Amino acid sequence: MRAVSTAETATTIHPWAIHAEALQVRAGRHLAVDGLDLSLGTGVHGLLGPNGAGKTTLMRALATVLKPAGGRLTLLGSPVDGRTDLRTARRALGYLPQHFGYYPRFTVREFVAYLAWLKEMPKAAIPAATQRAIDRVGLSAKADARLKTLSGGMLRRAGVAQAIVNDPQVLLMDEPTVGLDPEQRLDLRELLRDLGTDACVLVSTHLVEDVVAACTEVVLVNEGRLVWQGSPAALVAHGDDGHAGDSPAERGYSALLHRHRAEAAR
Amino acid sequence: MSILRIELRRSAAIGAAVLALVVGVAALYLAPGRWSQGWMSLTLTTKEYLLLLWPLALAAGAWQGRREHRARVGELFDTTPRSPVRRMLPVLVAMGAAVGLAYLLVVVAGGLRIASTAAYFPPDVVAIVLVGAFSLSAAAWLGLGLGRLLPALVTAPALAVAGVLLVFFTTIMRPDWLGAVLSPAYGSNPFYPFQTIDPRVTGALAIWMGALAFTGVLLLVTRSPYARVAAVLPALLGLGAGAAIVPRDEATLIAPVDPVARELVCTDDAPTVCVTRVNANVLETLTPLAREGLAVLAKLPDAPTQVHEDRRSFALPDEMPAGNDDIITITVRIDDRGGLAHPASVVPEIVLSLGVDFTGECQRNGAVERAAAYYLLGREPVSDVGVVPGMISEDPLLNAEAVTLWRGLRELPSSEATARIAAVRAAILACRDTTGMLSR
Repeated sequence: MRAVSTAETATTIHPWAIHAEALQVRAGRHLAVDGLDLSLGTGVHGLLGPNGAGKTTLMRALATVLKPAGGRLTLLGSPVDGRTDLRTARRALGYLPQHFGYYPRFTVREFVAYLAWLKEMPKAAIPAATQRAIDRVGLSAKADARLKTLSGGMLRRAGVAQAIVNDPQVLLMDEPTVGLDPEQRLDLRELLRDLGTDACVLVSTHLVEDVVAACTEVVLVNEGRLVWQGSPAALVAHGDDGHAGDSPAERGYSALLHRHRAEAAR
Repeated sequence: MSILRIELRRSAAIGAAVLALVVGVAALYLAPGRWSQGWMSLTLTTKEYLLLLWPLALAAGAWQGRREHRARVGELFDTTPRSPVRRMLPVLVAMGAAVGLAYLLVVVAGGLRIASTAAYFPPDVVAIVLVGAFSLSAAAWLGLGLGRLLPALVTAPALAVAGVLLVFFTTIMRPDWLGAVLSPAYGSNPFYPFQTIDPRVTGALAIWMGALAFTGVLLLVTRSPYARVAAVLPALLGLGAGAAIVPRDEATLIAPVDPVARELVCTDDAPTVCVTRVNANVLETLTPLAREGLAVLAKLPDAPTQVHEDRRSFALPDEMPAGNDDIITITVRIDDRGGLAHPASVVPEIVLSLGVDFTGECQRNGAVERAAAYYLLGREPVSDVGVVPGMISEDPLLNAEAVTLWRGLRELPSSEATARIAAVRAAILACRDTTGMLSR
């Protein structure tokens, strides 16, 4: 097992942490992402869109699980094209999948340490980084509990802990608030804001309120394309009483989607 | 926090190792008489238990191999920079080391019992034991690959059953069949004295198991259908390489004998008593008993003056020792503790034959010989049942006739009785019928 040098893990400045041009990604035979242009830098970005918009497929492509079918995608300057070695980019990546798989016999600490090892963190740094990640998600009291004994919300937080253990430069979180109670959601928002100060955080969710509260930018996708990109305040500004939603942000989201569908229909 | 330590604690490694250890040690100590003779007996008996342990390791590996599929962590792990080969290394080491070590501990557990009595340590034991341990590791690695290839709930139990049947099949086939030679349990029952395994056979097994292990590792770390098909190649190459170095001669494969194990170790002083090197630890116990038997026979003219352990392995039917009238050969039996078994039978066994080995070539009269022998021993003849180990039944008429003849001898003057017995011995040596020679 090779130790990773400090130079390999040091933060490198890229103009865009995530950059996609005319990106196409297949989900099975179907092009779930089709011609998407997107550039994301430091900050917390909320990925919104209706069911089937291609959010999860996009997240999986950004996480280097899926290879693009067309267009161009770079992650921290490394092309994601199936040919380029992605080890360096992956060392700086954190990912919480929609369906978080875990080893039920492992404790929280063991699983987070295991992921730190998979992310090729220096061996000596793993224990401290593991403890810090567990502390940040508020699971210190359950650090030595087996994952199979945790509630759904705790498991989700363990998932967040493994995603952030390597202090990623790109953090991708698919539905991170599922199973969390209101207090835990508030804590997670605070954590996301903290992480977003020096990393590119992309959070995919259906909860518009979470995006508005925690994110610095909103990315709205539909039918595999970018519909709109802007600040939470601008999203709220699009809302009016004529659109569905319990809050200004939800009404803004509905308005933008409605406008996109109308333009697409023309 | 060591990842290897995590894998050892959380994978099936420790469970499989403990199970193998318990099964192996329990099987050994349920029948200690099978291996108490010495290191090679212990080694071959433990190797026989691979019949159960090898499929167990295979199934444990398969169970472990489906872990990623079961836990659905593939998507998450695929986003990490560590390659599948390096990712799987700790679990490979944990599984392989745990079950391999368990096998070694089974041998050690048996070795503790015989360490003080086993006089001869054949060098081949080391290679056989190490390859046995490696066989278990290879089974675990092959299982890991198969479990990942076919991550179904039924894979592990199906492999366990199939493994038992397959290994059992190889043990009931002729030992010179290639499938039997390359079986992890080769060299198992029926055991025979001075048994060993040719180093080339052990080497071939190591190659074959190494190839299976390599195939397992490839199946574990590759995903493409082409790579998985190609993973069969090492197994085929290993089979070919193993087959190439396996000796072809029947004697080496069917009944290999360790010539050093059956070398004689003798007393320095006369009358000479010799045992084979593998049983050298019982020489001290056997010597006074054997000399007592020789002293009884010494009443006869030209009586034998030496007692040797029977060195025949009984594995090959045509193996008969050259006759020597001066030497009596006896079977040395070892008890569960590694000491001399049935010491009370030594003197009767020496005297009952009147100092002439049974070769099977001449007709011999059991009643005449028994009457003569018990006359020399100075007591009434009794049935061999309870005297000769392994004798479980006998025609009552045989002993009745011997008692009648013995009483007849007792009525004769001592010199006449001894002369008749000497004549009987001479007749046996000349391969003549002895019927009526005591009662004329």
